[in-house]
Amino acid sequence: MMGVEPFEAFGDLDEISERLASPDPSVRRLAVIDLVETSSGEAIPLLVRAAGDPAAEVRLQAARALGEFDGVDVAKALIGALVDSDAAVAQEAAGSLAEIRDSRASAVLLPLVAHSSAFVRAAILRALKALQVSESLGPAVAALGDGDAAVRVQAVGVIGYLKQVETLPSLIHATRDASADVRLAAINALSFARNDAAAQAAASALSDREWQVRAAAAETIGRIGHASAVNPLIASLQDGYWQVRQKALQNLGKLRARAAVGAIIPFLADALPSLRKDAAAALGDIADAEARDALATRVHDEDPDVRKTAIWALAQIGARN
Amino acid sequence: MDEIKDGLTEVSCDVLVIGGGTAGPMAAYKAKRRNPATRVVLLEKANVKRSGAIAMGMDGLNNAVVPGYATPEQYTKEITIANDGICDQAPVYKYASHCFDIIQELDRVGIKFQKNENGDFDVKKVHHLGSYVLPMPNGDTVKKALYRQLRREKVLISNRYMATRLLTGRDGQIAGAIAINTRSAEFLVLRAKTVILCAGAAGRLGLPQSGYLWGTYENATNSGDGYAMAYHAGAGLANLECYQINPLIKDYNGPACAYVAGPFGAYTANSEGNRFIECDYWSGQMMQEFYNELQSGKGPVFLKLNHLHSDTVGKIEAVLHNVERPSRGRFHENRGTNYRERMIEMHISEIGFCSGHSASGVYVDEFARTTVPGLYAAGDMASVPHNYMLGAFTNGAVAGEHAADFAQGIDLPEYDPGDVSREQARVLAPTKREDGIPPNQLEYKTRRFVNDYLQPPKVTAKMKLGQARFVEIRDDMENAMVVRDAHELMRSLEVASILDCAEMAAFASLFRTESRWGLYHHRVEYPEKNDDEWFCHSILRQQNRQMTAEKRPVAPYIVPIDESERSAYDRQRIRQQA
Amino acid sequence: MPIAHTPTTVPVIVDEAKCIADKGCTVCVDVCPLDVLRISDLTGKAYMKYDECWYCMPCEADCPTGAVTVNIPYLLR
Repeated sequence: MMGVEPFEAFGDLDEISERLASPDPSVRRLAVIDLVETSSGEAIPLLVRAAGDPAAEVRLQAARALGEFDGVDVAKALIGALVDSDAAVAQEAAGSLAEIRDSRASAVLLPLVAHSSAFVRAAILRALKALQVSESLGPAVAALGDGDAAVRVQAVGVIGYLKQVETLPSLIHATRDASADVRLAAINALSFARNDAAAQAAASALSDREWQVRAAAAETIGRIGHASAVNPLIASLQDGYWQVRQKALQNLGKLRARAAVGAIIPFLADALPSLRKDAAAALGDIADAEARDALATRVHDEDPDVRKTAIWALAQIGARN
Repeated sequence: MDEIKDGLTEVSCDVLVIGGGTAGPMAAYKAKRRNPATRVVLLEKANVKRSGAIAMGMDGLNNAVVPGYATPEQYTKEITIANDGICDQAPVYKYASHCFDIIQELDRVGIKFQKNENGDFDVKKVHHLGSYVLPMPNGDTVKKALYRQLRREKVLISNRYMATRLLTGRDGQIAGAIAINTRSAEFLVLRAKTVILCAGAAGRLGLPQSGYLWGTYENATNSGDGYAMAYHAGAGLANLECYQINPLIKDYNGPACAYVAGPFGAYTANSEGNRFIECDYWSGQMMQEFYNELQSGKGPVFLKLNHLHSDTVGKIEAVLHNVERPSRGRFHENRGTNYRERMIEMHISEIGFCSGHSASGVYVDEFARTTVPGLYAAGDMASVPHNYMLGAFTNGAVAGEHAADFAQGIDLPEYDPGDVSREQARVLAPTKREDGIPPNQLEYKTRRFVNDYLQPPKVTAKMKLGQARFVEIRDDMENAMVVRDAHELMRSLEVASILDCAEMAAFASLFRTESRWGLYHHRVEYPEKNDDEWFCHSILRQQNRQMTAEKRPVAPYIVPIDESERSAYDRQRIRQQA
Repeated sequence: MPIAHTPTTVPVIVDEAKCIADKGCTVCVDVCPLDVLRISDLTGKAYMKYDECWYCMPCEADCPTGAVTVNIPYLLR
């Protein structure tokens, strides 16, 4: 009983090669798509060649296709494509480069961290971040002084992923960067630290001019878990943005900050149900008996989440006092 | 393309995986990794590159058990409570213990979970019970990354083949499957030592309120073929009366995305803008509350984001309009809906079977084994409750590894060639007619009756009327259906699956004479939960060509449930029904 | 009884100027879960043959030339 071949073919590299030499760029482009289907390492040299095709549409397809493969040769071809005359090809190459996981690629990436184009510098740092190799640390710290904010954001990424205590001063410095994006990334990156300096830097960021940075700072304080930042966090309960007040409530709970109980209780009567709920949750986390009466008033709140959280918080207080 | 051709090819393999969506690729990949000498075939009705529930990706995990955020014990307990206690904990606990390994493995092959600036998984805490949400804002590449791995492992992929029946050996053990090419109608007989069914949900069971057959919550390819095949092979199916019904954006098939928008501060509200959901768990109880509010003077129900900062809404839109159901943005644009200004009207989905969100499915144990020797099931069609995408991956992996081992120790079972010729005759019958009823009309009518007679609240007399209508439609399908090309032939086979599932839904719902799982099995004449008589699974199966149902005890718990935890949940329920 | 054809406006539209199906491309046809797209014998371009669309968008997302647009089916709009 023989009939049709029921399985997907892996493709014939020689046949695809012929199509790659077609004078029609659309045919070459489709050949690139078929190269991906082979899932064979032997397709890489052909893709590398396609990345230098005269037609931008073929180069674009090749830059996309290379993202499906890994290794130093792939990285080299993509690095070349970062300076493509066609912006779409360069963008695609940057995306594919970030998919590289072979740490040996760092050797070809690192020499380009000081490239004249900011787009290239950012793409190189973004690719290095995923590789998590310690050789990237020095260049990344240096890149925190880059004139381009997008490059500095990627540099923070590289440093944050490596989680080295000795880089804390540079990350702390970046929390005062001129760009809000860099400050936000740096505040988040501080989360791995478990020391007072990091907590203080996050506490300072509670008065950042951007609310997103202030909200992130409150979260970082919660993750660092250092009691030294409790008072600034209590002060943030008066922030002009409810989003920041909410993060302050959540993280005071996480820190189990008994000193904050008096400042949290008024939020049980907040107009926003989400804040009432988070206030109740924080008081449950802290489990100080002082909050019992105030919580009891919320057991019949009109919002079911507030009711449930108040009941839960009272049970926490009961269990721990 | 599409004209009907004669043809029959036979192939053999050690592990045959039916369905290339989520669980299937993982099962095939793991079987191959377990033992590279295993001959693995992955059969898919569409194309593995873009098939199944996650064809366009997935925007987050709802049930990630990540060390430091949740424990397998805590997760197992919550799933048990959310399913009103009707839960064999062994497969749930196994999932919970293994899923973090799977997350890490998926991460290594390029599936993108949200990480913080320190490169750690960014698990979100949504409420005080446990933190299980891991966002995937770049989850649009899930299928691509899986497909890449399958090709690298040289898994044999058969796209555009629809399995129609399983083959069994003399002793009832699995022997393979029969499939048909959806573009040429040529047959493929796949002999196999083991078969893993990963054919997805029965998503084309109820009819969406729009009347558009394809506007379903589930990927509309998921027509319940796996349930039908398992049934005809004699496998037991558990708790099919526990339907899937989900909240969704009204008229659009996208989910409400509480898990995407929730961590940003969005919530489900009534028309007054107030929260109303009491239930802490995604469950039939929650859906009952949703349904009650929809029907009440405070209805309809909305997704509320308009209290959030415009930048925050932008972040939510970037996920909702690009990952999983990206046409959502276009839907809102057509109606001029801006999340910043207005709440978004929601509704409930049509009914279906899907363990991804509820608890029904082909009965499996903690090794993904069904009651048929050599037959496994994983993903939305297997009975492990509240599986979602990560459960499909994890249990697919469990099935693939076990099947690869099992296949090593046995010979290829013989099958009865008469089964193949009988199946060819059944499948091709509508192509032999010159005139008759096309499949789309049979499907529309079946699904309309599913809505009319099977949708909760469930009423005995209505369900019996539904059964009578289904018998009539079956008669039309078997004796008057006409099919003109191979594509339509695929649709005609899907109609058969849909009709099988409709009959199973009615039968299982009539069997359990109590109410359980909130809206999923709300029987009007038996409004109370009856633990004395019904604290058990219902198992439906075909015996002597008849549909039968029996009770099966719930396996003793591995993780004990505190009486106070259960009763706290029950109190919530009573307050809501009062 | 003869079978009638009921007209519908299809959700998936293809820009024939951009479509390279005539050069051998079958990407959109390959990836459609519902298998509703075909290449026209007449024009050599892709088109929607069956009105059975889940508006899921792989055809649009994977088209190498950006020729495909998925609209919401009229009944749901």
